Amino acid sequence: MNDSSLRKFYGWFTVLGLLVGVLVVVGYYRDEYREWKDYQRKFIQEEIRRASTPQQRALAEQTPVQIRQIVLHDLNRVDRCATCHLTVDDPSYGGYPQPLAYHPLHEQHPFERFGCTVCHRGQGRATTTIDAHGNVPHWDSPMLPLQYIQASCGQCHEASDNPAAPELARGQQVFEESGCRGCHKLGGTGGVLGPELDKVGARRSSEWLKKHFVAPASVTPGSAMPPQKFSATNLEAIILFMLSQTGESAPGYYASMKVIPSRNEGQRLFQQKGCIGCHSVGDKGGKVGPALDDVGLRRTPEWMIQHFRDPQSVTPGTVMPRFGFTETEARGLTDFLLHMRDQKIALSLPSLMVPVERGREVYRKYGCAGCHGAEAKGGVPNPNSKTAEQVPGLIHVADGYTKDELKARIVKGQREIPALDAKRPAPPLYMPGWGSVIKQAELDDLLAYLISLKPKGEDVGF
Amino acid sequence: MNAPLPKRIWQWFTRTRIGRSIFRIGLPESNLERSQVMVSSFLLHMQPAKVHRHSLRASYSLGLGLISLYLFLILIGTGVLLMFYYVPSTEKAYDIMKDLQYVVSAGLVIRNMHRWAAHLMVLFVLLHMCRVFYTGAYKRPREFNWVIGVGLFLLTLGLSFTGYLLPWDQLAFWAITVGTNIAGYAPVIGLKLKYLMLGGNVVGQEALTRFYALHVIVLPTVALLMLAVHLWRVRKDGGLSRPDEPGDIVQQIQLKQLPTNKTYGLMELARGTTPQVGKNPEDEVFAWPHLVFRELLLFLLVTAMVLFLAIFWNAPLEELANPIHPPNPAKAPWYFLGLQELVSYSAFWGGVVVPGLLVTALVLLPYIDRQRKGVGHWFARERVVANTIFSVCLVIAVVLTIIGTSFRGPNWGWVEPWKNAPAVTEGH
Repeated sequence: MNDSSLRKFYGWFTVLGLLVGVLVVVGYYRDEYREWKDYQRKFIQEEIRRASTPQQRALAEQTPVQIRQIVLHDLNRVDRCATCHLTVDDPSYGGYPQPLAYHPLHEQHPFERFGCTVCHRGQGRATTTIDAHGNVPHWDSPMLPLQYIQASCGQCHEASDNPAAPELARGQQVFEESGCRGCHKLGGTGGVLGPELDKVGARRSSEWLKKHFVAPASVTPGSAMPPQKFSATNLEAIILFMLSQTGESAPGYYASMKVIPSRNEGQRLFQQKGCIGCHSVGDKGGKVGPALDDVGLRRTPEWMIQHFRDPQSVTPGTVMPRFGFTETEARGLTDFLLHMRDQKIALSLPSLMVPVERGREVYRKYGCAGCHGAEAKGGVPNPNSKTAEQVPGLIHVADGYTKDELKARIVKGQREIPALDAKRPAPPLYMPGWGSVIKQAELDDLLAYLISLKPKGEDVGF
Repeated sequence: MNAPLPKRIWQWFTRTRIGRSIFRIGLPESNLERSQVMVSSFLLHMQPAKVHRHSLRASYSLGLGLISLYLFLILIGTGVLLMFYYVPSTEKAYDIMKDLQYVVSAGLVIRNMHRWAAHLMVLFVLLHMCRVFYTGAYKRPREFNWVIGVGLFLLTLGLSFTGYLLPWDQLAFWAITVGTNIAGYAPVIGLKLKYLMLGGNVVGQEALTRFYALHVIVLPTVALLMLAVHLWRVRKDGGLSRPDEPGDIVQQIQLKQLPTNKTYGLMELARGTTPQVGKNPEDEVFAWPHLVFRELLLFLLVTAMVLFLAIFWNAPLEELANPIHPPNPAKAPWYFLGLQELVSYSAFWGGVVVPGLLVTALVLLPYIDRQRKGVGHWFARERVVANTIFSVCLVIAVVLTIIGTSFRGPNWGWVEPWKNAPAVTEGH
């Protein structure tokens, strides 16, 4: 019984033991082999080749093969890109093909504070080319195509603030002038017909956005959005601007960077809030408050920021109202005022004092042009609407409405748009009620603007 | 002596002072030593010195219980390794999954092993239960061991379900959301139960903390204890079930028949079905090597199977959990998809009544079906009614699970997996 029956076990032990052994070896090999090690070895060879002295050569030979990563606690990122891209901070590698290439222009965004993926996106923790570049299933943030890289500036900087990102500023301009806000909310301002855009850049790819602008219904069946006729450059610019809207909040250190400098934002606020009504700059403006030409010499930045937060706290008894500026806005205004002297600002004072001009600004601000066309001339398609299947232009509103009727129309909106053909689907675009959005003073200005649109020389009431 | 070299080294070592102090017997050479080795070693004493030939027959047990046990051991081993890295935090858990994949040595393969062994364990525990049913092995005196087995099956599901949440990806988040919602359909206590499980009304940090504690401490400990009782009972009930033989004395000495005013030694209290009593010695062989070697071989086989899966197939990991973007459809873990399919018809009947009845029926089964015929045979003719009922239930459960897994698309609508799934459009 004993030895012969034991012997048959030995065969099985050998076979299964070998099987487990082979699997362990295969598993070990697959775990040990990582493509980044190949890249590092090639890099070390290149370093050895370039070495001109024995010391340099020895140093190159001692370079360890290891993961290289930038840990960014505040941004909750670990960027391991440098594991393969070993020479991003070495100018002598300028012009080398990837992965050994030099990354210029990183003085303002040092790698050790910013890493890579905060601008380039992709999967920072990954250590294989495909996974790291992020065009893989179950990863939402693939690398941003280089042509849209300026979108990343917009995650932290005001579009108008950053001279290094002209495409971004252009994108923002296209966005505002095309009236996208008429239907879409961005940063809390805008209509309700379309979805909010605050995080659109994190959800949508450039390909999707392009299709969406050219033919919205092709990617979003049943979309009410009219196809947009952008020029090729404007299309690229607005895609880039959309990609910049990721809704990602920048913590601590990065937030403080975000608002400096934001002079343009300060100037915009200065004009929009009508500071010039009470204060004067270069003899233009009101006399209620002090002139602001030399305010930068009289006041410290801290004082000014506090002043914008709460005027009473630094100047008891002042008549200046508390505007409720955000931290960013207060810093922007402060920066603007501090540099009042050296920027030779041409404040467009006269235009801002006229209701019609302010109304034009309101028309622009709330994106009315998105549906009613630039200069309110109409022409935006609204299939199956009785008004020639278009959203009506507003040039002749002064003829059809009294001021109060027009006001009520804007405040309440019109949910049901009369259809041309009752059998076809209802017109997709309608007029939302703007009562809770447009402020009273803005509404008055808007009415003044709309009434002013009536072409000169035409009779009232034909 | 022409024994192979490893054996000679081993024999030399077990004869030294140190070797003898550790192993006491060494490699057994005689039948006496074969008995002694089983009794004197802690790991081996859980098994009998001699084992019935019938218990060794692979075609009878298919080794399913043992495979489940080995998977459990592999899960403990890999699980402890994963615990060295894992942090049950909604902020960190997902990143740690990525780090396991990309920078931790063998991290990916260990996570894969854990994942696949977990799925396999659910499968093999279920198969083990089917085997026990179809061979009538739950009958007297093994009734209560079947009940413990049902408990272990539920614990297995609980372990798998709690582990499912830990990677904190979309798959985890929504599977647990769906799973706990099913629990919420129970009358009266449902919502309280769900709240208790999640530590809130939705899956969040509290749920992750609770699931983690359950997964790594509570459930494994309970499972280990019940497993010990389960195995101990197998042994006390005379090994694996087998057909009654003419020589068997199937009688129970009732303790109350004995005079109660005297003290007893262990042997006097030993009950009728312990291995020592009434067994024909010719039917038994020494557990060393016949049982122990087979067990070791099976362990190697299971290890090879799990390693193979883990090396060539990666455990799923989807996007980071996003509570505002549910996938469509959101699906529970696969072993609950039959349940989810039922719930799609009726939350109350599918989510409460049917599973409740099923578990109750399983627990009560050995007390309802008391006829002692056909034990120890697969698909015994005497048990055709019971086998048919069980098979019908089993087929329905499998069909529902397959439908839930492969034939359900967006909005739980019917899709045929061999056709392209309709594009899921995200409404504005």
